[in-house]
Amino acid sequence: MTARDRFGGYAFVLPFVSAYSFLLILPFIMGVWISFHKADLFGAREWIGPDNYVRLFDDPIFYQAMGTTFMLALMIVPALTIITMLLALALNRATRSAAIFRGLFFSSSVLSVTIVTLIWRFVLTPDAGLIAKVLAAVGLEPIPFLSHPDLTVPAIAITTIWWGLGLPMMLFLAGLQQIPQDMYEAAALDRASRWTTFRHITLPSLRRTTVVVVMLQTAAQLQIFGQAQLLTSGGPSGSSRPIVLYIYEIAFGRWELGYAVAAAEVLFVLVLLLTLGQYWFANRNEEPGR
Amino acid sequence: MTAATGRNRLPWPALVGVLIGAAIMVAPLLWTLLLSLKSNTELMRDSASALSAPYTLDNYRDIVTGSDLPRWLLNSLIVSLGTTGGVLLLCSLAGYGFARLEFPFRRTLFVFVLLGLAIPEQAVILPRHQLFAMLGWHNSYPGLMLPGLAAPFGVFFMTQYFRAIPKDLDEAAMLDGASRLSIFWKVLLPLSFPAQATLGVFTFLGSWNDYWWPLISATTSDKYTLTVGLASAQMNYAQTSGLGFLMAQAVFASIPILIVYIIFQKQIVGAMAGAATR
Amino acid sequence: MASLSLIDVHKTYGSTAVLDGVSLEMEPKEFVAFLGPSGSGKSTLLRIIAGLETANSGEVWLDGTRIDQLAPGDRGVSLVFQQYALYPHMTVRENMAFGLRNAKVAEPEISDRIEKVASTLEIDQLLDRKPGQLSGGQRQRVAIGRAIVKVPKLFLLDEPLSNLDAALRNRTRVELAQLRQRVDAAVIMVTHDQAEAMTLADRIVVINDRRIQQVGSPMEIYDRPANRFVARFVGSPAMTMLPVTLDPGSGSNATVQLAGGTKVATQIICAAIGKNENLELGLRPECVTITAEGSGTLDGEATIVERLGDRTLVYARLSDGSEITAVDRGDSRLKMGDRVGLLIEGRSAHLFAQDGTGYHSGLPA
Repeated sequence: MTARDRFGGYAFVLPFVSAYSFLLILPFIMGVWISFHKADLFGAREWIGPDNYVRLFDDPIFYQAMGTTFMLALMIVPALTIITMLLALALNRATRSAAIFRGLFFSSSVLSVTIVTLIWRFVLTPDAGLIAKVLAAVGLEPIPFLSHPDLTVPAIAITTIWWGLGLPMMLFLAGLQQIPQDMYEAAALDRASRWTTFRHITLPSLRRTTVVVVMLQTAAQLQIFGQAQLLTSGGPSGSSRPIVLYIYEIAFGRWELGYAVAAAEVLFVLVLLLTLGQYWFANRNEEPGR
Repeated sequence: MTAATGRNRLPWPALVGVLIGAAIMVAPLLWTLLLSLKSNTELMRDSASALSAPYTLDNYRDIVTGSDLPRWLLNSLIVSLGTTGGVLLLCSLAGYGFARLEFPFRRTLFVFVLLGLAIPEQAVILPRHQLFAMLGWHNSYPGLMLPGLAAPFGVFFMTQYFRAIPKDLDEAAMLDGASRLSIFWKVLLPLSFPAQATLGVFTFLGSWNDYWWPLISATTSDKYTLTVGLASAQMNYAQTSGLGFLMAQAVFASIPILIVYIIFQKQIVGAMAGAATR
Repeated sequence: MASLSLIDVHKTYGSTAVLDGVSLEMEPKEFVAFLGPSGSGKSTLLRIIAGLETANSGEVWLDGTRIDQLAPGDRGVSLVFQQYALYPHMTVRENMAFGLRNAKVAEPEISDRIEKVASTLEIDQLLDRKPGQLSGGQRQRVAIGRAIVKVPKLFLLDEPLSNLDAALRNRTRVELAQLRQRVDAAVIMVTHDQAEAMTLADRIVVINDRRIQQVGSPMEIYDRPANRFVARFVGSPAMTMLPVTLDPGSGSNATVQLAGGTKVATQIICAAIGKNENLELGLRPECVTITAEGSGTLDGEATIVERLGDRTLVYARLSDGSEITAVDRGDSRLKMGDRVGLLIEGRSAHLFAQDGTGYHSGLPA
């Protein structure tokens, strides 16, 4: 092999690898470095060791934000998983109308977070919102979704579920398509009922997809940001402030870059561990040979 | 969806469920559309007036003639197309390199790229903001496009796709006297068009809908993308020009992406499903 | 001057040797088949000639030029791939033109050559279609056409018939036989199917276990297999092998003794065999015919009877348990389990020494 052959490959690979190293890996390493500094947004740096991390664990707002984040994830992930699985089961057929419904349920996913929150703000808001108007029509009081501390988190959750149905539904549909048709034919020959077929063929076959959906959604929802920032700005009194919004506020409201980055690193490790944990948990229960 | 699975007739409780779900999907969209077609003064009195005539296109006329929205739309288009073009170029080259060429540390480099799949945006966005600030890249088109180029998934996707193309074709082209570059350019690249379309649409959507990076990188209204522009309009809603106008902006901003969605529905759905099941 | 010469070609993958000192000379315009089981190294050898693999050592010469250092496209070699490897996004015409454009052939000449080749291969109607719109047989013609337009000095075919169904295979075999009239080039075909090799090739190169086992015309390979492997691999059903000892009372031609004591007189010269005493007797099915029990060389029991129409194959078990393949007439009434007599025609028998070397009647091997 000539040197040209041996190193020619770099000509194809290096443009990406250098962009990737500069735009993703370098910032990632910088992040670890900055998190050990007292640093502001304008370049001032002072090495303080692990102080930022120590401070985080004494920060009541950090705990509140963590609580809100997990609350949101707990509301969104199971609901989204179940709803999209049911939708996939109902829409997994080759009819024209099923295709239209699939398109409809997926359509919200292509909208940006700003449009989605704009739409839902004027569904939820008590003075001009759609829900308030419907309630008024039947003589009920409007519900302060966006200002009552007990309602803001569910409001963000509902908006997120409406926005995020598309991808998990498509994943479940893809999972259903992979179930061999002859298994259903065999079950029909065995006179299995609709429920038995579902319980013993469909559901076990969707196991892997379910794990993927839960993992993806957990990772995504723990990093929820735009919906909260735009719908409620984290309020009232921080009751709907998820952790990424808190990170944003520390960095761009208080300019405490080092502290914000430390919080981001904690979240990163948390998401990584949770994802790996879910993966491990799912595989531990996997029966051998599958 | 190719094969018909499940039984063809939907049991009625499921049908009712699907219809209710569909209503919940449609109602907010319809409400938004209706609000956008009403005059602001009428809505000020009572937003329920959106359910009855008269309707008007005044809000849309105001958007086209007297707002920043067209500018933001153009910015979004420039940034998204630029990012998509860059990603397709870099990922195709790298995918071909990883799939087909032998060079020292190829496997190591590939693993290095895959590591990026585990790094979420929020773990790098603040240091990257610092980096771009040091280099003076903020509030510019390149500054908005560049972060999207670090797309390890794209490389993974293209590598897998190139690997699935029979090696016979490369060899046939070698015997036909084609150079490395011309094998890539004339044989493999045309064959990878389906993958390019999928990755392209995927990247375009991601870039078009990206919120956080343009929020912190674009600092003046003339560099705002649609997402950031609409966010600012939303934040300033109380002081400005009314509900109908605001909702018309939402509709106006949704139209391009919905058109893209309708045209590329197959690629979008395929990309999303394919992306996550691997 | 030889068209293709291989000189002591070695190839290893990691620590596994694939080719171990292969040398070969081809005549101009000769049609040679590389015959061997899968994994024998025959495809690797083809790919080394084409330049798709690099040999660890050794030389490849074509028409007086050393080509093993050249890029595949500069060797004057065309290859028809097993799966055809047509460019799916190009029309048939573009497929054929691709190599010529890379070789900077002038456009008018390109279309000229394509028209000519297309009409001889009867694919002129297909020139504007893409490979996906063609049948398997058409694709193969296009693949052959793409190889021919380049006017190669050497034409390589990788398992050309393996992807075709039985009916098409016979027709294509005839076409391949005509191919050599159309191309002014030597042809090498890789195959694991001995019938293909026998019918098409001027010479067969039997390859197994990293080495060339024998080079010869189809009849030489069939009648005088160099060793036990070639004898068993070529011919269907395979040659029967029976353990025998050399009868000390042999004259100038060897007489051998079967396990049961039966003697078979061969026309193999004793002197050639030398001191080897424990041998194997090789019998092609057509050298063993069925007679009434007791009237043949040996008696046995028919275990399988295969009626082929023009003749009947009989697999018989001898009293010591060994198996022998024999031929009976097409209208044979034999049934499974019948006792039969087996008449061995000693003058076309072969003998194999313990190292596998073959000895044949008449001239020493």
